[in-house]
Amino acid sequence: MLSKDLLEQALGVVLSGGADFAEVYCELTRNGNIQLIDGRIDSIADNTVSGVGIRAFVGVNTVYSSTSDTSREGVLRCAKRVREALKENRGVPRVVLNERIFPNIHPVKICPDTAEMKYKCDLVKAACSAAKGYDKRIVQVVGGLLTVDHTIQIANSEGLLTEDRHIRTRMNVDATAFDKGENQSGASRHGRGMGLELFDIYKPEDNGIEAARQAITNLSATYIKAGVMPVAIENGFGGVIFHEACGHSLEATSVGIGMSQMCGKLGQKIANEKVTAIDDGTIPSAWGSVNIDDEGNPTNKNVLIENGVLKSYMIDRLGSRRMGLPMTGNSRRENYTFEPTSRMTNTYIANGPDKNEDIIASIEYGLYAKSMGGGSVNPLTGEFNFAVNEGYIIRNGKISEPVRGASLIGTGSEILKDIDMVGNNMECGQGMCGSSSGSVPTDVGQPLIRVSKITVGGR
Amino acid sequence: MNYDSLKKVIDETARECGISEYEIYYMSAFDASVSALKKEINASSVGESGGLSLRVLKDGKMGYAATELLTEDEMKRLVFKAKENAENTEKPDTVGIFKGSSEYPRHDFKEKELLSNEKMAEVALELQNAAYAADSRVADGTQSSVSSFGFEVRLSNSWGLDLKNSAKASVIVTEVAVSDGNESNSAYSVEEYDAGMDLGKIAADTAKKATDNFGAGYVESGKYNVVISGKEMKSILAVFSPVFNAKYALMGMSLLKGKEGEMIASPVVTVSDTPAREEVCVKSYFDAEGVSARAKNVIKNGKLITLLHNRETAKAYNTETTGNASKSSYSSPVSISPYAFCIEGGENTLEDLYKMAGSGIYVTSVRGLHAGANPMTGDFSIESGGFMIENGVLGKPVKSFTIAGNFYDLLKSVKAVSDKVTFGVSGGVSCFGSADVLCEGISVGGK
Repeated sequence: MLSKDLLEQALGVVLSGGADFAEVYCELTRNGNIQLIDGRIDSIADNTVSGVGIRAFVGVNTVYSSTSDTSREGVLRCAKRVREALKENRGVPRVVLNERIFPNIHPVKICPDTAEMKYKCDLVKAACSAAKGYDKRIVQVVGGLLTVDHTIQIANSEGLLTEDRHIRTRMNVDATAFDKGENQSGASRHGRGMGLELFDIYKPEDNGIEAARQAITNLSATYIKAGVMPVAIENGFGGVIFHEACGHSLEATSVGIGMSQMCGKLGQKIANEKVTAIDDGTIPSAWGSVNIDDEGNPTNKNVLIENGVLKSYMIDRLGSRRMGLPMTGNSRRENYTFEPTSRMTNTYIANGPDKNEDIIASIEYGLYAKSMGGGSVNPLTGEFNFAVNEGYIIRNGKISEPVRGASLIGTGSEILKDIDMVGNNMECGQGMCGSSSGSVPTDVGQPLIRVSKITVGGR
Repeated sequence: MNYDSLKKVIDETARECGISEYEIYYMSAFDASVSALKKEINASSVGESGGLSLRVLKDGKMGYAATELLTEDEMKRLVFKAKENAENTEKPDTVGIFKGSSEYPRHDFKEKELLSNEKMAEVALELQNAAYAADSRVADGTQSSVSSFGFEVRLSNSWGLDLKNSAKASVIVTEVAVSDGNESNSAYSVEEYDAGMDLGKIAADTAKKATDNFGAGYVESGKYNVVISGKEMKSILAVFSPVFNAKYALMGMSLLKGKEGEMIASPVVTVSDTPAREEVCVKSYFDAEGVSARAKNVIKNGKLITLLHNRETAKAYNTETTGNASKSSYSSPVSISPYAFCIEGGENTLEDLYKMAGSGIYVTSVRGLHAGANPMTGDFSIESGGFMIENGVLGKPVKSFTIAGNFYDLLKSVKAVSDKVTFGVSGGVSCFGSADVLCEGISVGGK
């Protein structure tokens, strides 16, 4: 990390260009990646990310410069680039930094870097062996263990100087099943903002079996017929529906420049009254949690929608200036090469009043989406899409045959109103969310919900 | 430390560790951008980065480590880490570090120049102003940006091979928001910048694409003849390009294993892979193992000619590498990917395709390909937008429908291709292009 003296000097250089706010972000990240293919460890790679990003504001206009050269000369050159872009040349003001220490609410028991490589390899092998042994039609299993040790330092012209260290661990298993001339796939991913104690919670074998079970199930599935129908979406990664259909539209990145379907709707009823949605970066050791965001603000539990009424957006520093609303601890970035912006952390629909069995029983003909894939959205129009990885037809209130090849599409404003039943088994799933500040870990979550009607894409 | 000093530290440390075969892959990159909002410049950025990846052969196995910390101590750590990773890897390496090709192609393409900050600002503002001027319904939120970037790759190894490549390009992005008071829409365009391009037309075309969506209706679910625009088809080709990867085929994750010489597509389909193509900004002369890069057809008139190979898969297939070894970033292990990968055009115009379709749908936007398309199975179900085709001509706009099918079947369902190929902007060495394609009997999910 950088010395206090160098940080103060760099901030001074930026302010001398006429900025009304300056910030230095420094990062050192050690990533480890073990990959298993064909039953043996195929590759092991280490990657160190190291660099500095310096940002200036003049009102709501910004200048950003980044470099992987963290030497004194490199950092000051980076700061001078910002000053050159600002075009003014005032005297260099003195910036005094005061260190602030935030409590660590995501303790780590087994730091990945301290564990034996063989131990880590054995974890991946256990997961993949379980997947391969699940059924002879499993022809390929690819397993991976990703470990991230991420240290950041943030200093700004308001005098803030702070650091944080965040450790994440994630295992992924992808299984391919082959039968009668066709492939089907299954995937399982579990991650947490913790060390290798993750595997006290999720047994690697369970991860493998889940991926294999899904691939085998899809072998016997038939293609779903396209049409509009009611859909019951299961908990965990099913929460991607809120993430895409609404979450991105509540980020200041879109709202602050008028590019969101949710502009000007604070206090308005935008969803069914059974819907309460929360973004909470403080959940201990959750995949999307951090102690502080990438502007040095502690994360919060933000109620976005309460009983159907829009209560809050997710707001970073620039969004706060644009919108005249306080920051919410949601500023995030993939690494130092990206300028931070408002992003989700752990976003979920809270438990509702309905019993899960009643939700299934209420559907005469529809789709039960047990496992969801990823998706995307146009925040302005709210048009979203996402894939169903494992689905079943519901007939006469009972889950029946498996179907594949389904995707769900619609618009956020409509679907929020069409979520008319909310169950009580809230759980989160882990994903990587891509947006203008890169790819960041986020949890998505919900209990089982019913959407009264949605377009299901199929054959 | 400069590159030669870093290399010297690695070489000395490797020798001390008993490593005789290693490869250094170094990449430095520079990028700058300027963006405009509400007809004024609102943001600018500049970035420089450099990273070094090392792979070492130890006891017949390959180990990797990479870093952006370019210091003497870190280079030593890198060697130790790569050695440790090789020792814990279980897969035997079958090909080692490459000694070099007998010759490497050179081309006379003129390297582009980076744009100055002032020029980027001028172009971004011109795009903004042209977008607002194009239609009274263009709304605030309309953004335009110009990026200029360059990178240099250097590959050196213990056999004395020392190769360099570099590229520079500039890209313009226009995102137009429109509102008529009741309905909001948006459209965007991404294009490589060229000094002679008509910025006003690009902004106006993007604005028109956004306003065309006003009043879009819904389509009935069913089977349709579908014309997929080249811009969208190239994205579909990109997401399914792993099916041509020989490693995926060896792993049982592509159904094209052993299909070389067989008809896998309609006779009108030819897919080429070209390392240095005029219209693509990144031109490659060697692959990520240092093998000379060459142009080839992957599908010729519907017949699968070859999969894409690196040296490892070529050895497993008992064939020659196609020179397609790649790294998704400088720090990634060696994999396989295409260069300029393209569904080549034919002789029909786009209008001919409408006529041949008779009635159907012209797809001008697809979204969520990362989720709605599965390269392992070939299945896709993708959110789309476009226009109805009625009596052989374009009709009303339609939105919020899906096109669904299987990529292997889609290749066979192509009835005609247009005479115009559209390329995207390079992402690393790979870039995808396609002609407009007419496909028969595609499943469409709508109302």
